Amino acid sequence: MTTTTADTAPTLKQRAMNLLAKPWSGVAMLLVFYLLLLAVFAILSPFFLTVRNMLQIGTNVAYIGLMAAAGTPLIVAGGLDLSVAAIAGLTGVLISLMVTAGIPVWIAVALALVVAAMIGVANGLFTTKLRLNPLIVTLGMMSIVSGIALVMTGGLTRPMMIDGFNWIGAERFVGIPIPLIIMVVTFLVLWVMMTRTKFGRYIYASGGNPEAARLIGIPVGRTIIVLYVISAVAGALAGTILGAMLGAAAPNAAGSQLLTVIAAIILGGTSLNGGRGSVWGTLLAVLILGTLNNGLTLLNVSSFWQDVTRGVVLMLAVSLDQVRSRALGE
Amino acid sequence: MAQRLSMRNIGKAFGGVPVLSDVELTLEPGEVVALLGSNGAGKSTLVKILTGLYTRDGGVVEVDGSPVVFSRPADAIAAGVKLLPQEISVMPDMTVAENILLGELPTKTIFGFRQVDDEAMRRRASELLAQLGFRDLDVTQPVKRLSVAEQRIVEIARAIAGQARILIMDEPTAALTEQEAHLLFAIIRRLKAQQVSVVYISHYMSEVFEISDRIVVLRDGRNSGNFATAATDKTQVLAAMLGETAGDLYPDTPPPPAGAEILTVDNLVVRDEIAGVSFSVRAGEILGIFGLVGSGVEVLGRALYGAVGSVRAGTVTLDGKPYRPSNPQAGKRAGIGFVAAERKKEGIIADLTVRENIALPFQSRFTRGLFVARDLETGHAGNWIRDLSIRTRGPEQKLRTLSGGNQQKVCLARWLVDGVHLLILEEPTRGVDIGARREIYGKLRELTGNGFAVIILSSDVEEVAGISDRSLVLDRGRIVQHFEKGATPAQLMAATAETVTPAA
Repeated sequence: MTTTTADTAPTLKQRAMNLLAKPWSGVAMLLVFYLLLLAVFAILSPFFLTVRNMLQIGTNVAYIGLMAAAGTPLIVAGGLDLSVAAIAGLTGVLISLMVTAGIPVWIAVALALVVAAMIGVANGLFTTKLRLNPLIVTLGMMSIVSGIALVMTGGLTRPMMIDGFNWIGAERFVGIPIPLIIMVVTFLVLWVMMTRTKFGRYIYASGGNPEAARLIGIPVGRTIIVLYVISAVAGALAGTILGAMLGAAAPNAAGSQLLTVIAAIILGGTSLNGGRGSVWGTLLAVLILGTLNNGLTLLNVSSFWQDVTRGVVLMLAVSLDQVRSRALGE
Repeated sequence: MAQRLSMRNIGKAFGGVPVLSDVELTLEPGEVVALLGSNGAGKSTLVKILTGLYTRDGGVVEVDGSPVVFSRPADAIAAGVKLLPQEISVMPDMTVAENILLGELPTKTIFGFRQVDDEAMRRRASELLAQLGFRDLDVTQPVKRLSVAEQRIVEIARAIAGQARILIMDEPTAALTEQEAHLLFAIIRRLKAQQVSVVYISHYMSEVFEISDRIVVLRDGRNSGNFATAATDKTQVLAAMLGETAGDLYPDTPPPPAGAEILTVDNLVVRDEIAGVSFSVRAGEILGIFGLVGSGVEVLGRALYGAVGSVRAGTVTLDGKPYRPSNPQAGKRAGIGFVAAERKKEGIIADLTVRENIALPFQSRFTRGLFVARDLETGHAGNWIRDLSIRTRGPEQKLRTLSGGNQQKVCLARWLVDGVHLLILEEPTRGVDIGARREIYGKLRELTGNGFAVIILSSDVEEVAGISDRSLVLDRGRIVQHFEKGATPAQLMAATAETVTPAA
């Protein structure tokens, strides 16, 4: 009797795999994990679960969230942008130099965004027209861009206290910090783009099966180029906000956060193989990584350990992605 | 003497569907047996069992009289069974000698370190080549400098070096010229003399009759013929291969009313694969283009749709206007629908739903302003799910989870919108079960009744014979025969087989 039931009932492993194959499993797990994290830190630190601290976390991760939001559709479409954080660094430097040269600050910002868009076009052309590996292309671009930023400043940090500019890093609107608002709006816009527009379908089709997408007449190359531009412009916006927040432009201001950006996208459930992912997963992952940093700081854990934590979370996320792919039978 | 190989009562099923039932294949020492059968007859499954890639569900395999169980390819190789796949697999940057002796490099010990003995390796490789009748091939040159035929020979020499007693050759002449093919036959005769047995798989009848001692035919996963080559002829073998055509699979075809010419192709040249073909298709008819692997059947449809970049030469007229597509968008705009042969790799977007997949090629029509109109998509997808009897829980099911036949129907449904009037379908029923095949064929007939023109490019001879109003046979990039009134499978097959026979 018992043996027959054992033969037919799904094993625990099978059940877990079935659960992982569900499309919402990733986001649901992240949400549970996020709530757990909030609960644990709330118990450990009396300063943690306050409106003030929550808004602080939001402000701290805003520029990272911007880059991760824009990186999500790009990875879904089969691309990858490692140059995004370097572009953020260059943007701060460019704005600061242009303002010093007498150009009005908002024109300087606009010009810096145009430069970023051109870098995005270059990334896109190299990966789609020449069919080079995006990892190599954007790694090279990262080196070029951060190198140029260093050359332009001689490696020094430049002051960036500019009249009528720093408010975007410091002010609040109805009590919510502006950087946080910019991030949330970006997530909303990209969510609509990915799920409600024709272009969004092209994104999922291009990453899900590029050859099939090409053969039904979808402009795969153009789709990916546009996404590289969006990623680069988001990098530039992130650099602008960061400069405004810090009141200074350092060539490598955002460089150390590249890993956080990629980690957030992967942790958020976006498949590195393309074709699968959502910005909400990325947002939750950004919040989780930001909360970890904030909570560990409040608990006086050294920032060196925070690097270790981030690496561990990233590797867990990648392993989970692999297991999920297997659950889907690839 | 015991038989070199004896496979008896071999059975294999995938997901409950039997692919091989009670199949038998034997080899005497030094015998060349040709293994024939149309696509899906079970040849490749049988070979995979013999080479340890699949395990059999039932039956007995004996090599030289002793029963064997191959659970891994290495087991088969250890027992002396070696497969030479259709694609040549050599290490291009290693030398001829290294390639031949890759499995058992001779070594010597110097100062306590084991090293490759270059001198012995060269000697041994030359000996092996000499056994095959090649005395003057420089074994120290890298293999990439050799011709395709010479690379084949290196592969064979490698198999002999590994003490192979059973060689399985899968379409070994596919990339060879006629002269090179005859060189290969000479080598096979030498192998016979050394008591090596060969399973020879080929679509080309004339090769089979030239080189084999015996012909074993499979059909629908069963033995359907076993002939001594000297005592049979092509007609008998083809009859065993094709059997009585499955009659009711195809709709009863009323002769098509002569519609307007939709597509006219004149002297089209595509890369090195299509060497000047001319034909036309009319509204209301199904044109079948039959060709074996390498005939150009893989590229002709794509070229007409715009998926292989620009063509080298020739003119194409579509709806009376000159037509020169440079990308799939151009083909789509001109009203052509295209379904690719490799459904998984080139057809489905597995992670999108049935609804999203169907709407995808003409997404603009399912969009209001900036946003996708889900209600329009759902309505459209629902219509085709019903019309084509797509077995799905609903339009929101991910395409990944549908069966091959239902995925294929989704790929077809994508093109059933206003404006598309020519369908180019590659291998439209490959890997599709009988029920879905019948439904797809029925739908194609219905579409032509409504003024569609359909071009089917297929290596499935029965399909082309069964569904086409007119058919063409493609071989080595040329049209070798037109059948204005349809053709039998045997006629189509014979048309390709003839051209391979040496001219003189």
